[in-house]
Amino acid sequence: VPAQEQSPSNQTSLAMMQEPQEVMEETVTIEEDPGTPTSHVSVVTSEDGTTRRTETKVTKVVKTITRRTFQPVILTESKPSPSTATPSETKPVTKMVKTVTTRTVRQVPLGPDGLPLPEGSSPLGSYTDSIDRRYMKNGERFITPQATSTLTRSYNNYSDSYNDAPDSQFRHYALHDGYGDMPNNYGSLSRGVNYRPYQPYMPTGGYRPENSYTLPIRKDDYGHVAQPQVPMGSSTVDLNRSQPERFQPEPYGLEDDRRSLGPDDEEPYDLVPDYSTANRRTLPGHTIREPLRNGPRVRGYEDPIEAELIDERHPYIHGMYPAPLAQPERGSLASLDRMGGRRSPSIDSIRKDPRWRDPDLPEVIAMLGHPIDPVKSNAAAYLQHLCYENDKIKKDVRQLKGIPMLVGLLDHPKAEVHRKSCGALRNISYGKDHDNKVAIKSCDGIPAHIRLLRKTNDMEVRELITGTLWNLSSYEPLKMVIINHGLQTMTNEVIIPHSGWEHEPNEDSKPRDAEWTTVFKNTSGCLRNVSSDGAEARRRLRECEGLVDALLHALQSAVGKKDMDSKSVENCVCIMRNLSYHVHKEVPGAEKFQDPSALQGPGSAGTQRKKKDDAGCFGGKKAKEEWFNQGRKNGEHDKNYDTLDLPKRTEPTKGFELLYQPEVVRLYLSLLTESQNYNTLEAAAGALQNLSAGQWTWSNYIRATVRKEKGLPILVELLRSDSDKVVRAVAIALRNLSIDRRNKDLIGSYAMRDLVSNLPSGQQRPAKNLEEDTVVAILNTIHEIIIDSSENARSLITAQAIDKLVAINRTSQSARETKAASHVLQTVWSYKELRNALTKDGWNKTHFQPIPTGTPKGSKSCKPGYDDTTLPLMETNQGNRGCSGGDVIPMDELGPDGYSTIDQRDKDSKYKSSDGSSDLQEREPLKNDTNRKHYIRSNRPTVSLVDACDVKPQPVDSWV
Amino acid sequence: MSFMPGQPVSTVVQRIEIHKLRDGDNLILGFSIGGGIDQDPSQNLFSEDKTDKGIYVTRVSKGGPAEVAGLRMGDRIMQVNGWDMTMVTHDQARKKLTKKNEDVVRLLVTRKTLEDAVRQSMMQH
Repeated sequence: VPAQEQSPSNQTSLAMMQEPQEVMEETVTIEEDPGTPTSHVSVVTSEDGTTRRTETKVTKVVKTITRRTFQPVILTESKPSPSTATPSETKPVTKMVKTVTTRTVRQVPLGPDGLPLPEGSSPLGSYTDSIDRRYMKNGERFITPQATSTLTRSYNNYSDSYNDAPDSQFRHYALHDGYGDMPNNYGSLSRGVNYRPYQPYMPTGGYRPENSYTLPIRKDDYGHVAQPQVPMGSSTVDLNRSQPERFQPEPYGLEDDRRSLGPDDEEPYDLVPDYSTANRRTLPGHTIREPLRNGPRVRGYEDPIEAELIDERHPYIHGMYPAPLAQPERGSLASLDRMGGRRSPSIDSIRKDPRWRDPDLPEVIAMLGHPIDPVKSNAAAYLQHLCYENDKIKKDVRQLKGIPMLVGLLDHPKAEVHRKSCGALRNISYGKDHDNKVAIKSCDGIPAHIRLLRKTNDMEVRELITGTLWNLSSYEPLKMVIINHGLQTMTNEVIIPHSGWEHEPNEDSKPRDAEWTTVFKNTSGCLRNVSSDGAEARRRLRECEGLVDALLHALQSAVGKKDMDSKSVENCVCIMRNLSYHVHKEVPGAEKFQDPSALQGPGSAGTQRKKKDDAGCFGGKKAKEEWFNQGRKNGEHDKNYDTLDLPKRTEPTKGFELLYQPEVVRLYLSLLTESQNYNTLEAAAGALQNLSAGQWTWSNYIRATVRKEKGLPILVELLRSDSDKVVRAVAIALRNLSIDRRNKDLIGSYAMRDLVSNLPSGQQRPAKNLEEDTVVAILNTIHEIIIDSSENARSLITAQAIDKLVAINRTSQSARETKAASHVLQTVWSYKELRNALTKDGWNKTHFQPIPTGTPKGSKSCKPGYDDTTLPLMETNQGNRGCSGGDVIPMDELGPDGYSTIDQRDKDSKYKSSDGSSDLQEREPLKNDTNRKHYIRSNRPTVSLVDACDVKPQPVDSWV
Repeated sequence: MSFMPGQPVSTVVQRIEIHKLRDGDNLILGFSIGGGIDQDPSQNLFSEDKTDKGIYVTRVSKGGPAEVAGLRMGDRIMQVNGWDMTMVTHDQARKKLTKKNEDVVRLLVTRKTLEDAVRQSMMQH
């Protein structure tokens, strides 16, 4: 009885070890998501420019007009070839864009969360894009009579702010409506026409870079540009057109500005000061930017082609950004600061022009419902920018009911609108504030995203959607919601097509490789998170049609291409690992494959164990003799298993059955051999751990297959890994694998040294300084290996482990370590044939006894709560400890428990007894060797069995 | 030559330096190995002690770099570029020998004839 009680504690500890793995991974995933999205945004922006062209066709005319306006300027600079110059300039611009993008990418890693840096750049970029779009769109609208009317409305709506706003603001408005109205502007315009055309543009450019807030910038540009235009324009119509193109944003921007003007002083978001051109120029960054600006500007104005304009702008924008990017933190953060209301006095003073200000948050959110689509999309883009890396604003948006409005826009037919809305939602969904995630879910944001995912072919939008879903999936309560609404869609829309897997492959089509796209990465990350949501989630994923097949295909493709370090691969392996957890209990029809012994109650299992143990206690001779006997027995078993399994194999396996087919062993071993990614290594080892746990037919096969595929040396080698969690996962996997008797013997012979070297020596931790969980895992594995094998116990002694074990037992500050070491020592002492050698080395019985609770050390290590009960138990065990010790550690349980869902982990269930220990105890059935499984691929003639004891392997001969 | 894993071995060794031959993307040493701790030692044709799980040279291609360097069939490989080969799996040994970034492999080998020769010379004295 005492022995049994001990076992639970051991089991629990094992379970613990595994559990942390899962959790850790999930957390990591989540954090990574946000970062990616942000960075993407910026990239997307650049791409968007191209798309927009179509919309703006009208602009051509306008451009011509514009030219006129600027011609004077151009003339001064370079009359000869304005047109030629433009194209050439354009190219450089494009290049600049590229550079910008790269920077963004770099920044991503830099950010503390991964996000910060990218955010600064990306939001800005997107923001800018949106501005451009506005321009274009606005231009259209402006041209159209309706558009004009809308503008007016906006005017009216914002009339209040107007009143508050200074004259200058009004002027801008006036510009839109009628240029003639604004005397001041005209004056400036005239100047601008002659001398300053560049300047006004310049400010624009400078503006963006400096402030990154698009709205204000636009306005400024607007104002400046508009003024020149007015004078220039020969006809009102022309003027209007021209305005819309360049300045269209202004109308909206203007509206915004007006609004913002009122609140400016108080509003944190106001950009007002920034807009003056003089300031911009004054800014240190300007010098750098100006050259860039000039190029783009010239082109834009000069070029008759819309497309060029667009390109210019984007590049332009990017170009502007470079300066901030160069100092990413300053640039983006500075802008953020301003937005957040933390304006520094100096900046304020620099921005002398009080005319412009950004809309405040309520205004922006209100704009989401604006009748004009570009306003909506601009507002959404602006929100995305504001929310970047700013939890406060995210919260404000939520409290201002902005999230439902954004979600509502997901169904908007215009790509521009739902795209920007996606961007904003992605940023909002990122972060530790789960309320934002819940808010998205509460307004049916998850089905809305899924709907859009089904509908859109726009890569950018798909990246945004899946990024958001990944973010949402990090919050436990949302996982099942995502599964319910999106599992099959994500599988069908993303996982399957990108994995290269085909339901019914054509004969002529070659098998496709997986495409490691961002969309795939995001989606697999999302599924990875939701796959940890307990048995029901696992069941849903396993039964999701095509999912497991596609994941396997993708992983095999990764192995084939030796591309195994990516995040996507990591996500896939983690999903597989999670889905492999408890397959032997949860898979439909699993009971058919259960080992008969496993079906017995815990009580009977206990007795079986005991008998076995007794045998073990009798002496060392047992080891080899018994082993041979078992080998015979196992041979018989094998036959049975073969007949059992074969029928199953007549049909090609598919779906979740693939999870535990022996073929996957090779896949995981390839990953373990080749991948440099610790998370992937841990997950692959974890998958083997899960699959080799349990008492059903398949786990028997898996255990044997790992051996035959030469997996044991691979695993043993990973015991030397620098990564704590890899060592832990491998150690537990070895423990489960050693349920197989041959594996146990091999592991005892060849892994003992590496296992022992991971143990802390004395009070001194080894260089690796492994965590408690890892040390306990290793101790438990050692314990498992030496149970019923005096041979292995002997090699434990040979490996000079006794020193370390005694030291841990006496001096470790960890009760769990102490207990685990004590179990090992008791087992060692139980082999009477070894005592002689031990005594020779100076050990005596006291070294192998558990430290009494009463001792100071014992009390220290055993914190109240868990170990009180266990320690006394151990003492009582002393009599029969050796043999009974084996019962303590149920291997099977360990694996599965580890993977238990987060909830369990949270409960701090480490020390509570594990439920399933009973099945584990019955190992005997497990020890069948499956020497000649048909399922083992025979296409590798050279492969010899790792297990030297197995049926005679062909001698391997390798040419080198 | 009997060998116990983990036990010190005193034996006569010969250093052999093989320059790999480049054949397309492959670097060729021109010999094959057998053995390893994951192999069945009883099937090793070259070991004196049928429990020896060391790495043995099983074939040497005619005129290949290994033969030129003096490697012979039946040689027991003790080290590869300083890496111990007496307690490795077959695949580990293969990997150590076939590193893409190493053009030269320095082997420490022992062979029965070598020992015999030494013994004979000692007897003479």
